[in-house]
Amino acid sequence: MGDSNRGDDFIPAGLAALGIEADEIELAVMNAAKAMFWPPILELFDFDASAARAEPRPDLSRPPAA
Amino acid sequence: MPAGIDLSLRDQAAGIAAGEIDAAELLDTTLTRIAERNPGLNAVVETFPERSREMLAAAPAGPLHGVPVVIKDEWPLPWRAQRFGAAEMLAPSAPGESGPYRALRDAGAVIVGVGNMHELGSGSTGNVSFYGPARNPWDPERCPGGSSSGPAAAVAARMVAGAVGADGVGSIRYPAAYCGLTGLKPTFGRAAMAGHHMAAVTSMIVSGPLCIDAADARLLGSVLCGEELAAGEPRGLRIGVVRDLVSEDVEAPVRASCAKALGLLCAETGGELVEIDLPDLETSALAAVLIANTEGMAGLSPARLNDLDPELSPLGRGLLKFRMLLPAAASVKAAQVRALFRQRVAALFEEVDLIAWPTVPAVAPPLEAPLVELPSGTTTADQANVRGGALANLTGIPAISLPAGFSEGLPIGLQLQAPWGRDELLLDTAEALERANGRAKVEARPPLAQPAGEAAGA
Repeated sequence: MGDSNRGDDFIPAGLAALGIEADEIELAVMNAAKAMFWPPILELFDFDASAARAEPRPDLSRPPAA
Repeated sequence: MPAGIDLSLRDQAAGIAAGEIDAAELLDTTLTRIAERNPGLNAVVETFPERSREMLAAAPAGPLHGVPVVIKDEWPLPWRAQRFGAAEMLAPSAPGESGPYRALRDAGAVIVGVGNMHELGSGSTGNVSFYGPARNPWDPERCPGGSSSGPAAAVAARMVAGAVGADGVGSIRYPAAYCGLTGLKPTFGRAAMAGHHMAAVTSMIVSGPLCIDAADARLLGSVLCGEELAAGEPRGLRIGVVRDLVSEDVEAPVRASCAKALGLLCAETGGELVEIDLPDLETSALAAVLIANTEGMAGLSPARLNDLDPELSPLGRGLLKFRMLLPAAASVKAAQVRALFRQRVAALFEEVDLIAWPTVPAVAPPLEAPLVELPSGTTTADQANVRGGALANLTGIPAISLPAGFSEGLPIGLQLQAPWGRDELLLDTAEALERANGRAKVEARPPLAQPAGEAAGA
C-alpha cells in the first residue's frame, strides 16, 4: 500500500467523501490532529484485547459481571 | 468583608443554620467578591443577582441552605441555557431544570453564577473558550485546567466555597490539580446528570464537586448524588501504585510531592503501598478519547459541520471535522479495550483498595502555550494529562484529585481511584491525608485570596 493511501490524502479524501468543507486553518488543525492521533489509532487496531470478556452494554456504575 | 465569605462550604451552611450568618448578606458579599476578583480571572461568565435572590427567598431548609455556589456552563438553568463554553451549542439547548440545578435548589443552595469552561469540553487546560480563557488564581498567566476551568478558578480564588463541574475525561480532576482543590469524579451514574445535552448518549460524563477540601466535597457531592456520602475511617489501606509513564514520566517535584503524600497517607492509616501491574494505560487513554469524541458527535452531520458558527474557535472547528473522519472500527475496538480495562481494574481491586498516581504530570502550563516539559520531552498538556485522567471515565470508577504540594508556587495534585461505588472511601482517604499534613495543602491560598495581612501559604 502506498503512502498516499494511508497518509496525506486521507483528510481531503475523507472530507470530500462526506461533503465537508474546511478552510486552511481547519485543515492545519486536522493535519495536526492526524499526526497526533493516527499512529496510535493504527496501533490500536493491532492491540490484542482478546482477553476481554465481551461486555456489549456495560453498566458503568458497577464492576463487570464475573 | 462581613464574616462568612471566606469560610468553608460546611461552615457557611452551619453558620446560616445557626443564625450566625445572614444568608442575604452572604449573597451580596459573594456578588461583591466576584465583581472584585473575577475581572482578572474570567472564572465566572455570568451572574444573575435577581435570580439568586429569588432562589434564596424560596430556599428550603436543606444542607446547603443559603450557601452560594457556582455551576459550570454545562448545565441548563431555568433562566439560562448552557453554552458549553462555545459560540454555539452543537446540540439543542434551552433553559431548564437540570439535575444539578434541582439538587442544589432542593438542598437550599443559591446559584450565584455560571463558571467558564473549555470550549465544548474538549480540553484539559481551559485556555480556549467563547468567553475568553479562564485564568489560574495561583498565577493568572497559567491555565486553570479544564474543562471545568471557571468553577475551579472561582473556588480557588475564594469567590465561592464550592462549585459544580462535570468530568468526561478528567475535567473535574485536572482543574482541581492545577488550582489546588479537591475535586471528586463520582462513580458513573451516581451524581445528577438529567438535563445535560449528552445525558442520553454519554457513558463518560458525571457531575461532581470542586471544593477547598474533602469535607466540603463530601457535602456538595452528597447533594449531587442525592444520598449521604457517609464518613468513615480508613485503616490498613492497600494503595496500588504503578511503575508506568503515568507515574514515572512526570516532573520531579510532582513525583516527589505525590510520593510524600502517599507516605504520609500510609503512616496515617496504617496502610501500605503495593506495586501493581496495569499495562497499556496509554491504549486505555486513547480508547477513552475515542469513545468520548464519538459520543460527542451524536446528532452531527456533514451539513451541520458546514454551517458552524464562525465564532467557534478554529481549533474547535477543525477538531470537530476531524472527529467525523474517525473510523467506526476504531470505536468498536475502543469498546473492546474498555471491557478489557474494566476487567483488569476489577481484578486489581481484589488486591488493593485504591490506585494512586499524580493527577497531572506537571503543574499548570502557560495560557499562551499549554506545553509541559516531561522527562520524555515536550508535549501538549492535553496529551500528557489524559494518560492519568482517562481510566476512571473509561471504566466508570470514582476518582479524586487532592492537593499534594507545590512547585514554584503552583499546586500539585494526587489522584486516587477506588472501586465502583466506593466514592466515600476516596473522601475518607482525602481527609486522612489532610490530617496527616496538618491541612497545610488545603488551607493554602493563592496570593489574591490571602486574608489581609497574611502571607501566601504554599
